Amino acid sequence: MANAADAHAHDDHGDHYPGFFSRWFCSTNHKDIGTVYMFVSMFAALVGGGMSWFMRLELAEPGLQYLTGGAPDMQFYNVLLTAHGFLMVFFVVMPALIGGFGNWFVPLMIGAPDMAFPRMNNISLWLLIAGLALLLISAFVGSGVGTGWTVYPPLSSSIYHPGAAVDFGILSLHLAGASSILGAINFIVTIFNMRAPGMTLHKMPLFVWSILVTAFLLLLALPVLAGALTMLLTDRNFGTAFFDPAAGGDPVLWQHLFWFFGHPEVYIIILPAFGLISQIVSTFSKKPVFGYLGMAYAMVAIGVVGFVVWAHHMYTVGLDVDTRAYFTAATLVIAVPTGVKIFSWLATMWGGSIEFKTPMLYAFGFIFLFVMGGVTGVTLANSSADLVFHDTYFVVAHFHYVMAIAAIFAMFAGWYYWIGKMSGKQYNETLGKIQFWMFFVGVNILFFPQHFAGLAGMPRRIPDYPDAYAGWNYVSSVGALITAVGTMLFFWILYRTYAAGTKAEQNPWGEGATTLEWHVPSPAPFHTFEDQPDMSGKQPAE
Amino acid sequence: MSAVKSHPYHIVNPSPWPFLSSVFAFAMAIAAIMYMHGSTYVPMVGFLIALIACSILWWRDVIIEARNGHDHTDEVRHGLRMGMLLFIVSEVMFFFAFFWAYFNAAIPAISFVASPTWPPEGIVALPTWDLPFLNTLILLTSGVTVTYAHHAIRLGDNKRAATGILLTVILGLLFTACQALEYSHATFGFKDGIYSSTFYLATGFHGFHVIVGTIFLTVCYFRTLKDHWTPESHVGFEAAAWYWHFVDVVWLFLFTAIYWWGGPI
Amino acid sequence: MRNKFMTFGLALIGAVVSFGSAFAGPAGEVRSAPWQMWLQEPASPTAERIVAFNAQLLVIETLIVIFVLGLMAYIAVRFNAKRNPVPSKTTHHTMLEVVWTVVPILILVGIAVPSLKHLYFADSIPEADMTLKVTGNQWYWTYNYPDNGDFTFDSLMIPEDELKAGQPRLLTVDNKVVLPVETNIRLLLTSNDVNHNWALPSLSVKLDTIPGRINETWTRIHEKYAGKTIYGMCSELCGVNHGFMPIAILAVSKEEFEAWTKQAQQTFASDAPPVPMTRDIAAIDNVETVRVADASAAR
Ligand code: HEA
Ligand code: HEA
Ligand code: CUA
Ligand SMILES: [Cu+2]
Repeated sequence: MANAADAHAHDDHGDHYPGFFSRWFCSTNHKDIGTVYMFVSMFAALVGGGMSWFMRLELAEPGLQYLTGGAPDMQFYNVLLTAHGFLMVFFVVMPALIGGFGNWFVPLMIGAPDMAFPRMNNISLWLLIAGLALLLISAFVGSGVGTGWTVYPPLSSSIYHPGAAVDFGILSLHLAGASSILGAINFIVTIFNMRAPGMTLHKMPLFVWSILVTAFLLLLALPVLAGALTMLLTDRNFGTAFFDPAAGGDPVLWQHLFWFFGHPEVYIIILPAFGLISQIVSTFSKKPVFGYLGMAYAMVAIGVVGFVVWAHHMYTVGLDVDTRAYFTAATLVIAVPTGVKIFSWLATMWGGSIEFKTPMLYAFGFIFLFVMGGVTGVTLANSSADLVFHDTYFVVAHFHYVMAIAAIFAMFAGWYYWIGKMSGKQYNETLGKIQFWMFFVGVNILFFPQHFAGLAGMPRRIPDYPDAYAGWNYVSSVGALITAVGTMLFFWILYRTYAAGTKAEQNPWGEGATTLEWHVPSPAPFHTFEDQPDMSGKQPAE
Repeated sequence: MSAVKSHPYHIVNPSPWPFLSSVFAFAMAIAAIMYMHGSTYVPMVGFLIALIACSILWWRDVIIEARNGHDHTDEVRHGLRMGMLLFIVSEVMFFFAFFWAYFNAAIPAISFVASPTWPPEGIVALPTWDLPFLNTLILLTSGVTVTYAHHAIRLGDNKRAATGILLTVILGLLFTACQALEYSHATFGFKDGIYSSTFYLATGFHGFHVIVGTIFLTVCYFRTLKDHWTPESHVGFEAAAWYWHFVDVVWLFLFTAIYWWGGPI
Repeated sequence: MRNKFMTFGLALIGAVVSFGSAFAGPAGEVRSAPWQMWLQEPASPTAERIVAFNAQLLVIETLIVIFVLGLMAYIAVRFNAKRNPVPSKTTHHTMLEVVWTVVPILILVGIAVPSLKHLYFADSIPEADMTLKVTGNQWYWTYNYPDNGDFTFDSLMIPEDELKAGQPRLLTVDNKVVLPVETNIRLLLTSNDVNHNWALPSLSVKLDTIPGRINETWTRIHEKYAGKTIYGMCSELCGVNHGFMPIAILAVSKEEFEAWTKQAQQTFASDAPPVPMTRDIAAIDNVETVRVADASAAR
């Protein structure tokens, strides 16, 4: 397999780059589109991260230090909070893991010359950017969207949020959603239809599997959100009454529809991370993935069960007790396939010959910290226990462990793992390791104390808190400062890599890196696999 | 583009349409918000027209590629069909949300706040076996005519296919007309509470899909006249036909749930 | 083995709980203390169960995390490239895979059984001795005592610059909800505008107040809390002052409560008439969540 691909790579004539506008704005090339996605994600990370640092600054001490202007400032806090949640979820993690790495490496890993629908790929990108622009605008028109990322009516209705801000938010998500649906269709067709000869589904690298499952979740979940958003839009502007109790509507309907999307959404975030971690763990242990089929079908199981647990976000809205009992049981079930993944990673490393390069450090950190976040999810899954935890910082700690730590770790892991392939330049290993340790220490100081604040009863979404919570909040803010420095260091490494990185080899990671992307030169040429490699008779690409 | 290519897939040249469409979608979103907050609707319509123009140019490119004899190989067509199917799946989930809203309001066992009677007090639902039933028959018949056209294409008879498609388009227009008539006769307005909300949005979005499907089929009609199909290769038509069947099936659900089960008591 | 596990678990619970109680709030008050790391002290039967249940969960989860961490530490030491230059090629071990599927299932069943028991306990509303109606407003609470003279009053946060010495910031209200100890109290919750959430951590009460709906739950305050104030905060984002609508319950003996209601009927009689919704609630009996007949009154 190596030979076929290598031999071809040498006489690759595909490097006729179009002109600047044509290349970056009218692109039909999965690699260029992936690259733009990555930079969109980084930009949004700076904005969304900046917002979170400002929140932590305000929360560092009890009392109001910066938001001293009364009600408008309280609204401003809620706007920051909302925009932070939206940005991080829709415009940082999804674009990087799915749009960025997915675009770059799904075609490379299955030996396809590009995505199935290259133009549609580009409109996914630009609709996302349009959505991002609308979201940023929403923070500045009128008094902004102060509803939290869950946008519950009646608070988000036109009575309590008059002005155009919420409408901007709604249309922003409409566009981002359309972007994701089109992207999902593209990935599914690419994976089903364009694999190199002989690469059966059961030989696909796990990252490709993860994107496949994720794409199905996107395809099924996002239209429901689109429907709900449409109802909210017509409620606000055209006099319908979906969520208006005064006219027979039901605010809780929104919560059902939102979480029917929202829970699969959290797996949309974490599944590509799972896939990526599988690649990295296998590469740096110099071993094939343990229990490959179990790993693949565990993701399928997580995806399926993920659609029937949504109401665990609604334990306190007054659902009847049998319903809550069902959702408790169903939610607990997800721990089983997730456990299969965790233990299979451990078994992959077991007996391996592990090199702790930066990507592997991040993957190692991912596994441990995801388990930390996962087990607190198990606490929350119990409707009875959720009575004390719902809407406290315990929940904030839970979801930052699985998202702000685990998913972001996976993004960094992927970036260090693949930057050589993407840019042709290799990062500086020492700086990379320093950056890992700063982030590792920073995020734990940032989010671990939030468990205590939550146990002690501190509600989320408040700009000021009773004095008793001061201690843990201060520690948490110190952690935020460390992650801020770590983020800056990342951007320095990024700059240094592009400006002065050493030339990346075709395969910088050695014998463990077996997937197809390591059989094309670094940086990957504009067009790859003009000649598809024949994979028949080969082992699963791990 | 590149010289050697041994795979059957279609490497598309850079295209301005995705970018331009997004720009117009963005502009249209802003214009729509301004319209909703009291400003004129003119810019919104303007950007909508621009967006439609972009789509037309985009699909024009696709048709040109489909006709050039080498881009749309068997594999590519297979992918296109799969893509259309997945798109329809996502549309199904979109309607899923509206059905959910409907049942949430209509069945007390699902929601505590559901109306105790359905239709709610004060609402006179439209008579089931009147226009709605006629519309059901129209759509079912159109399903037959479009299948007739499909068979004709498979047999290489584009003349008869054109007739089939034309009939389908006419039935589609008839449906839309009946629907408009029905709306104009309804005793409840758009803003009359939850019944109206679910009724008008569910049937309205369906109606919108009927219109889109009708346009799609109209395009196919002219392509049929120009002999664009061969018995082996007629993805454009297949997509339109599937879309039409999907619209048909959604209607059957709407008819059963809203007009019949939820019909006048 | 099992025994060891139990002993260790119980020891850990003991440690955590005693650690937690070291952080009990100031005398006479039930709220969190600086650097508190554990749940607030339980003041109702539901809360007692849930605090204990959380301790069990914590033990199980801590053990899982420690187990994974231990394996990872071992892997890092034993299987790094220096110690183990030649990787094995093992990729399957059926027995192992069965074990790591079945053992978590057993653990989860072990969690689910008590969990559901507590859930049904917290939900099954015993014969109520009295009813308290709570209505959320932007940004204060309205309380109504239908069984004790049907009086109604509002409870607003006292802003920082009007606090007296010793009153906690962001928690002090003008009118506390006075409730008797050792009494089954039925709680009916609704809202006049947006969603709020009436949450008392130490009672394990947390339920949304939603316009157009009435949610029902119950509580019973342990008698040793007579004379103490129990604090909570609105726990659903409800707009700009969401952080500033606390809940303060003054628990009193039954006799004191009787006396207080007499006095309260006088004090609050002159108040504005109760919001229309609360009148509707009075008619409703023993239903968990109901539709408000005339929801437009919610406006
Ligand atoms: C990446 C995102 C992500 C992921 C992966 C998860 C994973 C899980 N989440 Fe989380 N969650 C969120 C993101 C995520 N969550 C967000 C954003 C919110 C808040 C939204 C908001 O309100 O704003 C939230 C909130 C949330 C709630 C609602 C809390 C509340 O508001 O009151 C609940 C309740 O059930 C929950 C449960 C779970 C569970 C059971 C898992 C499970 O999938 C975890 C499974 C993993 C493990 C269990 C660890 C590994 C397993 C083993 C080592 C095997 C052995 C283990 C056992 C036997 C237990 N989550
Ligand atoms: C993935 C999602 C994500 C991420 C990464 C983060 C990251 C952070 N979040 Fe938050 N957060 C949410 C999702 C996320 N968050 C959500 C959904 C909410 C709920 C909102 C609501 O209630 O409505 C929330 C709420 C929330 C709160 C609660 C506020 C409140 O309830 O009042 C706080 C407070 O401390 C907080 C803080 C932080 C901090 C300090 C970080 C720091 O970790 C930030 C540090 C910066 C980074 C981690 C970015 C680094 C990434 C890059 C540099 C990109 C690299 C790019 C490539 C490799 C391609 N967040
Ligand atoms: Cu009331 Cu938050
Ligand atoms: Cu969830």
